[in-house]
Amino acid sequence: MKKSNKTLRFAAIIAIALIGFAFMPAPKKITVKGSDTMVILAQKWAEVYMKSHPTAVIQVTGGGSGVGISALINGATDICNASRPMKQSEMDKLKERYASLGIEIPCAKDGITIFLNESNPVKELTLKQLSNIFSGKTRNWKEVGGPDADIKLYGRENSSGTYVFFKENVVKTDYAASCQTLPGTAAVVNAVSKDKFGIGYGGAAYASGVKHCGVKKDDKSTAYMATAETIKSGQYPISRYLYMYLRNRPTGEIKAYIDWILGPEGQKLVTEIGYFPVK
Amino acid sequence: MKKVKNALITFGVIFFSLFFSTELMAQKQVDDLKKEQDTIKENVSTIRDKISGFEERLATAEGDLAKLTKIKLSGYIQAQWQNSEAANIYPNNMFMIRRARVKFTYEPVQGIVFVIQPDFQPGNITVKDAYAVANEPWLKTFSLWAGKFNRPNYEVEYSSSNREVPERSRVIRAIYPDERATGAKLEIAPPQLPLKIQLALFNGNDGLTITDVNGSNINPVNNDFDNHKDFMGRVTYAFKLGSVGGLTIGAHGYYGAIKANTTDVLNSDYTYNKTLDNIGKLIRKNWVGFEAQLYFDVLGGLALKGEYIFGINGTPGYSSKTSVVSPMTSSLKNDTLTLTTLTTNTINNRPAIERNFNGYYVYLIKNIGKRNQIAIRYDYYDPNSKLASDQIGIAKWDAGIAAKTDNNYTYAGTDPVIATNTQTKTVVNNSLKSGTSDIKYQTITLAYTYFFDDNIKFMLAYEIPMNKKVGVNSTGVGNVTSTYTKNGEPGIFDYSDVIKQNVLTLRMQVKF
Repeated sequence: MKKSNKTLRFAAIIAIALIGFAFMPAPKKITVKGSDTMVILAQKWAEVYMKSHPTAVIQVTGGGSGVGISALINGATDICNASRPMKQSEMDKLKERYASLGIEIPCAKDGITIFLNESNPVKELTLKQLSNIFSGKTRNWKEVGGPDADIKLYGRENSSGTYVFFKENVVKTDYAASCQTLPGTAAVVNAVSKDKFGIGYGGAAYASGVKHCGVKKDDKSTAYMATAETIKSGQYPISRYLYMYLRNRPTGEIKAYIDWILGPEGQKLVTEIGYFPVK
Repeated sequence: MKKVKNALITFGVIFFSLFFSTELMAQKQVDDLKKEQDTIKENVSTIRDKISGFEERLATAEGDLAKLTKIKLSGYIQAQWQNSEAANIYPNNMFMIRRARVKFTYEPVQGIVFVIQPDFQPGNITVKDAYAVANEPWLKTFSLWAGKFNRPNYEVEYSSSNREVPERSRVIRAIYPDERATGAKLEIAPPQLPLKIQLALFNGNDGLTITDVNGSNINPVNNDFDNHKDFMGRVTYAFKLGSVGGLTIGAHGYYGAIKANTTDVLNSDYTYNKTLDNIGKLIRKNWVGFEAQLYFDVLGGLALKGEYIFGINGTPGYSSKTSVVSPMTSSLKNDTLTLTTLTTNTINNRPAIERNFNGYYVYLIKNIGKRNQIAIRYDYYDPNSKLASDQIGIAKWDAGIAAKTDNNYTYAGTDPVIATNTQTKTVVNNSLKSGTSDIKYQTITLAYTYFFDDNIKFMLAYEIPMNKKVGVNSTGVGNVTSTYTKNGEPGIFDYSDVIKQNVLTLRMQVKF
């Protein structure tokens, strides 16, 4: 009789333990998707955060700002990284589906850098010249003070926030059909580094093996390079915020992660990667 | 010596033989190599030609593919089961396809868009949308629309594929039947401002049922009913409320008219207003609406949306004349034979009426997690705000004109005298009595939606329409009733009480 009581007690403890394990909250995986410009930064954030928070699981993928926003709308990601603000039409979709306008969190600043091949003698360009070059009106380097050679254009795919931002703020019309679209700023940098007459654009964090081109607002302005000072002061003409978007106000693990990103540790990584902190 | 000489000759012969044979072999090898080279060159040339051919075909295919990427296809199907409590509906529970739409969007060049959207129903295909949009490329602010598209109003433009409850509010269904109208629209939406202005000109009669004396719809294909074009305008502005949400406010107005189709026009309270010169004169359709949508983040999305609309909505009447010639009668008096013909003209008029109306709706929507949504809507529609409930069903205006007789005599011959007497009798029936079309309604709709994924959702909804109880006469019977036949059995709705007509809907929607 005693033995059977013991057995029963043991079985009860096992059952309670099993039930307890079943209800123990599994570590919540945070998914982050979107801007290719931000993917290195986002991966770095995730990597460092997971080291200091062993229970956190953060999965980061790129695809472009547009892809990230679509994923946020259809519920496929918790956080969307975007290198451009959300469009009204995208906000409308969020309203229709979640009765929410979404939460916009500026998490870093970036200057869109103009990349030239290191052998290219051109040092600076105005916004107007850049517009003409990328829209195909200016086709020879000679027209902007360079050698007599055709300009080779390298840009981003249309799902990219950098593509949209550069189009809306610099090109201001359609890109030239000859502009070769590449998946990610790293690919643009690589293409320009191999092409003597190439020109491309992208996030400052990726610019190695190429030359930065100074950018002027107009003929009479001073040319500025994308640096922390010029971007912070607003002197560099092609600067922008990098954003994180959420469907609703963050809670729990996601809130902790975002607070960390906006805190000193996260913002320090922004500078390390080559972007500029928001504060 | 001779031996040496012979040996030398033999050696020479062998040497030369060997030399020439080697030379010949080498030559042959060279020739073979040349041949091989030629073959390779030929093959390379063939392959190059083939590659060029492939490149050409690829370019053509890419060109074709690029054209195809300019065509976008989207659509949705709403299949549902409904159970209605209304006594006049049979069968009162049924499966049905509410919507089966495919939207084709073609953008041949940036900024120019063509849209066509048919609705497929068993045995019937109708074109719901067919329009072209031209967006100006410089300021990216103006766009011009032409064709058949949604009227500019919040609930009208809010697609039923996104709507949180099964149907639009009663007031919207009444003043914007079928939602779409044919015309042109200018949209002004500066990209830097959360402002949108819509100015539209429509035929104005799309979806309206206009009946003749027999009750037949004389506006069945939505061709224009009159020469007057209706103007619509809407303006909205969106505010951000920090990081917690946003508020959009707006207003819209309708300035239109419709052919009266009769010469008599009544006021909203059924009193006589005026007599028009002819039936082609116009009656008013003028109203304004104010809207607001508030989005707030309270443990997930929460939205409060509403709109209030009031104004005057004209309903055309009709005028119908029938003539009956009675057989000739004769009478003899003082050598004069009088032959009399009686023509009876009966004019049936239903006067046009300009009703003052008002209506509103309020939605409360709460999203719970990523997949669940609950919604409550209260909507109210008073189609005749100048008539109190106890006045409905009482004939205030009945301008039946008494029959009058005109005599016209003509004489023929001298002796004996024959007089031809033509008598014309005109009877005018001019009446319109308030009734079911003046009754106020309030409707409560409760809905729960489960989003299975991005494409599929399920909705369970219960709609509770409640008519306002209207006048009771001295015998305790309602002044307003309507009849129906169900399964061959006649029935009667008495509006002195609330008519039971709740509807339960279980809907599945697939969107792509």
